Amino acid sequence: MTKEIFIFIASVLLLMPILSVFGEISFSTQFLFCAPFIFMIGIPHGAIDNVLHGRDAPHQKQYFILVYLLIIGFNVILWMSFPLLAYVLFLGISAYHFGQSQFSHYFKRQKLIHQFSYLLWGVSILSALILFNLSEIHSWMNDYPEFALFSPIHQLNSLVLTFCISSILTFGSLFWLLHNKAFTVSSFFMECLIFLLILAAFYLTPLIIGFTLYFIILHSFKVLGEEFRFLRAEKEVSSVLSFLKLLAPFSLLSFLGLGLVFALIYFNLLIIPYGYALLIIISSITLPHVFVMDHFYKLLFRNNFYQQKEKG
Amino acid sequence: MNLLDVLIIPKDDAVAFTFFTGYMAMLAAAIFFFFERSRVDDKWKTSLLVSGLITFIAAVHYYYMRDYYVATGENPTSLRYIDWTLTVPLMCVEFYLLTKAAGAKLSLLWKLIIASVWMLVAGYIGEAFNPEGGDSTHSVLWGFISTLGYLYILYTAWFGEVAKLAAASDNEVVKRGVRILAWFVLVGWAIYPIGYMCMPGGWLNTAFGWGSENVDLFYNIADAINKIGFGLVVYNIAITSSKKVQTA
Repeated sequence: MTKEIFIFIASVLLLMPILSVFGEISFSTQFLFCAPFIFMIGIPHGAIDNVLHGRDAPHQKQYFILVYLLIIGFNVILWMSFPLLAYVLFLGISAYHFGQSQFSHYFKRQKLIHQFSYLLWGVSILSALILFNLSEIHSWMNDYPEFALFSPIHQLNSLVLTFCISSILTFGSLFWLLHNKAFTVSSFFMECLIFLLILAAFYLTPLIIGFTLYFIILHSFKVLGEEFRFLRAEKEVSSVLSFLKLLAPFSLLSFLGLGLVFALIYFNLLIIPYGYALLIIISSITLPHVFVMDHFYKLLFRNNFYQQKEKG
Repeated sequence: MNLLDVLIIPKDDAVAFTFFTGYMAMLAAAIFFFFERSRVDDKWKTSLLVSGLITFIAAVHYYYMRDYYVATGENPTSLRYIDWTLTVPLMCVEFYLLTKAAGAKLSLLWKLIIASVWMLVAGYIGEAFNPEGGDSTHSVLWGFISTLGYLYILYTAWFGEVAKLAAASDNEVVKRGVRILAWFVLVGWAIYPIGYMCMPGGWLNTAFGWGSENVDLFYNIADAINKIGFGLVVYNIAITSSKKVQTA
């Protein structure tokens, strides 16, 4: 068990009964409670994409920024033109990214079957998140016509089917990895336990809170830890403080960008709901981040990062 | 013999079934551990004695609890917590005894005992002093406080002193054994809160309508897994380690 998993278990055990006392929690209250964690931990975990990519291609900094911005631009245009397609793309790449960060440390190099496992695991937990909170999502869809566009994705039958198939295949791939000794028996049981705990958290807590628990503790903390250890090994940072300094510029820039968009909405210069704008922003920073992280994990495999960590 | 004194188990009462099977299983396990004690190396005899004591104390309490349950149909809360107040600290003693050879100090034992007593006392207040009809705030508050004790033990077993001492041990059998016991704390002990949350006003009771009879069902299952399973892991460590010494 890692410390992130321990914190996740502790949070789920302590929070779930408390949340039940409060009864139904509105979207805005959930967001108020979760936003500080998402902004302070979630956004910074993707705020050093330039540094991570720069370790592998130090002479391509300007080219990297240009491509990064182009991908963001492409995504915004996609959201404006084909929102349903943009939404599916967002869910798909997020699923892959979540699975990759969950399993990467088990492997010595990345094979196609591993990438397939990442996607299955991610699809399974994201479909569970939507499926278990469908009534909450339907109420948003009723309140905001923009969200109603996603109704084909939020059909009960298709969600149940997606969840069941992806979960069965996920367990199948976990067995396969165990059989091929990519997992130890202990790791296999731990992964099964985490998977079930994530599902329980999604089922038993409101949408935003459940997702934040997973996203912050199991995803962002883990990725931040890997980024820190990698950059320390590369002598790019020497301490947690210097790592935080490295995270600061683009984190602050993201906050400013978010603030600017929200201000435009507030002054009626941009006519879209806050929640919808947030979805577009998050997906726009997720899309290039996923490419960078895929590149980063390949770099870790090339550098035998996880084997060195085990020895250390 | 007065047949009217014979207790009748309703055919569809899973709780009564688990009380009776729990009683026999605990007693059988206690006899097994006491007898097997003679087969292990001297340094493991205390560990097996403690395993036997845990299951024997539980068997005695189960003897009374099954009668209490069948006669009244109520949860034997006081008897249950008396049992746990004795047996759970003894499980902590097992952790201490296993890691003693690797340098565990008495302070570790006391910390684990205090955490387990904290967990049990808070759980008892939450359950025994739950107002008539159930009170969610009361149940959640004491459940929360109790969980803090559980998390301390869980942390100690996986990352804290117990884990570090096991990692420092040169005995692979002990390392593996401590890891399995840590799994028991993680998964096996986590069954208890499920039972706790089934009591009136408890979260599973109010959210999903799980009746208070499930309290004892989950507790009985958890007890059988944890007490007998815990003892069997210790037995396995003792017997494997003793065989290694004999063949060396």
